[in-house]
Amino acid sequence: MPPGLDNLKHIVVLMMENRSFDHMLGDLSKTNPNIDGINANLSNTDTAGNVVKAQPLAQFQSQLDPDPDHHFPAVDLQIFGGNKSAGRAPTMQGFIRSYFNQQQDVKHSQKIMYYFPQKKLPVLTTLAKEFAVFNRWFSSIPGPTICNRAFAHYGTSFGKVGMDLFYAKEPFKSVYDRLISANPKRTSKLYYYDQTSSTMEIVNLLQHQPELFGTYGQFLNDCERGQLPDYSFVEPNYSDHDGDNGEELASDQHPDHHVQAGELFIASVYNAIKANPDLWKSTVLLITYDEHGGIYDHVPPPPCTPDEFVASPNDTRTGMEFRFDRLGVRVPAVLVSPWIPAGTVVDRVFEHASIPSTATEFFLGDYDQRSPREKAAERFVERRDKPLDSTKNLLSLDVMRTDCPDFELG
Amino acid sequence: MTVIKIPIPPESAFNKQRRVSSLLRTQLEHLQEAEFRLPARDQTNVYINAIKTEGEAAEYIGQVTGRLQAAHAMKERPKVKGKTSRVPAIAAMAEKKATRKHKRAAGKSKAKASGRRR
Repeated sequence: MPPGLDNLKHIVVLMMENRSFDHMLGDLSKTNPNIDGINANLSNTDTAGNVVKAQPLAQFQSQLDPDPDHHFPAVDLQIFGGNKSAGRAPTMQGFIRSYFNQQQDVKHSQKIMYYFPQKKLPVLTTLAKEFAVFNRWFSSIPGPTICNRAFAHYGTSFGKVGMDLFYAKEPFKSVYDRLISANPKRTSKLYYYDQTSSTMEIVNLLQHQPELFGTYGQFLNDCERGQLPDYSFVEPNYSDHDGDNGEELASDQHPDHHVQAGELFIASVYNAIKANPDLWKSTVLLITYDEHGGIYDHVPPPPCTPDEFVASPNDTRTGMEFRFDRLGVRVPAVLVSPWIPAGTVVDRVFEHASIPSTATEFFLGDYDQRSPREKAAERFVERRDKPLDSTKNLLSLDVMRTDCPDFELG
Repeated sequence: MTVIKIPIPPESAFNKQRRVSSLLRTQLEHLQEAEFRLPARDQTNVYINAIKTEGEAAEYIGQVTGRLQAAHAMKERPKVKGKTSRVPAIAAMAEKKATRKHKRAAGKSKAKASGRRR
């Protein structure tokens, strides 16, 4: 067994908000051609007939205001360019048209094509270059936050494609439930930023099992004391608000929140793990985004194993039903561990159901009561209790790296 | 080992008067749904449609999250034998009713005072 897998005790997932792969990491294809990012041929046509190329002009704030639409009908337009015919193919040609619909401002709508030059995002791009970046990590649903985050917790959205109040149904338990009710019992925690930011989508869990939750301050403490649970899910700060220590800046990177605040937050999570040598050698950190937020990406989402649910034409508001048989738009995803070779690029297809799938199978082994989507999802950490497929094992180094970067905040 | 310095955002990035996004609006609705399942005495009586800014949303979210946590902690507290005689229970009920009335009134005045009305 590779020592990275042998040493692994903790999986930490940090899920940010509403940015596409090309927008955040697309510029990296200039540095590493194996990364499927921006190239000179990528464009959308605006409503005046101009061909608009993807351009490195993204700003930290005040550019994507109003918040680009990322509800199901808008994402359908972004992916299929308005084609509703049977057998249609995704073209990724409707992003500008979709943004234009919000303000009828041709010039403003072009901003949806902007991406960040890598020097503006030193944290995310450095981690992507230094560890493993996923070329094909897609949001689970071509829709908004709540249904996508549900896949990260339950491996399904229980047939939801929107922001509806979300109620879990048997037999699919959350990954946290599975872990804490296992025999032998495993440990798991959701860390929200603070009580005032709270948790985003799992009010059911907060209502019934608040003992599963902790604050980001507790996360930092748990890292320092070596008391991190087996599986942790970290939520950023979702709002600008007054906190105990003064002004708390939203760190989720949801437009129009300041992107640099999110960079600092990602660095802070990384630093907290790396500062404890025992934790650093026994932890993988996955950083990903719930969905693309209506922002341009060029990779057509592929088909996937259908879920056992069907969303009606009324639910999708496209006049068409949705069988959960294709994925949403691609999002950034980076896996961090000192056992991963620098410059690793992963081409397999992942989605958010890969998160509970990985945590469940790594800590519990076989587990039957899961959605078809989750069972079919790729894992980002291989199991220890099965013969190893070395082509899929990302923690592949024989010796732990000592050259990993450090971030100095502020 | 490379040390990378990460700049901090400018002070102007902070804006708790920013209008509530559809994401925060959804969070408010979800938390209100959870709040409605609390005993009436533990509810905030805040009218969430009047919440317009991130700062106001955060205040409500913090209150409800705290109350959900507290309600659960109470539920988990072990019951003490001999503390449930009928007379104190009736007395407690009367007190609860009075508190509810008082809280409703307080809720209204709080909403006015915080300027949350349109």
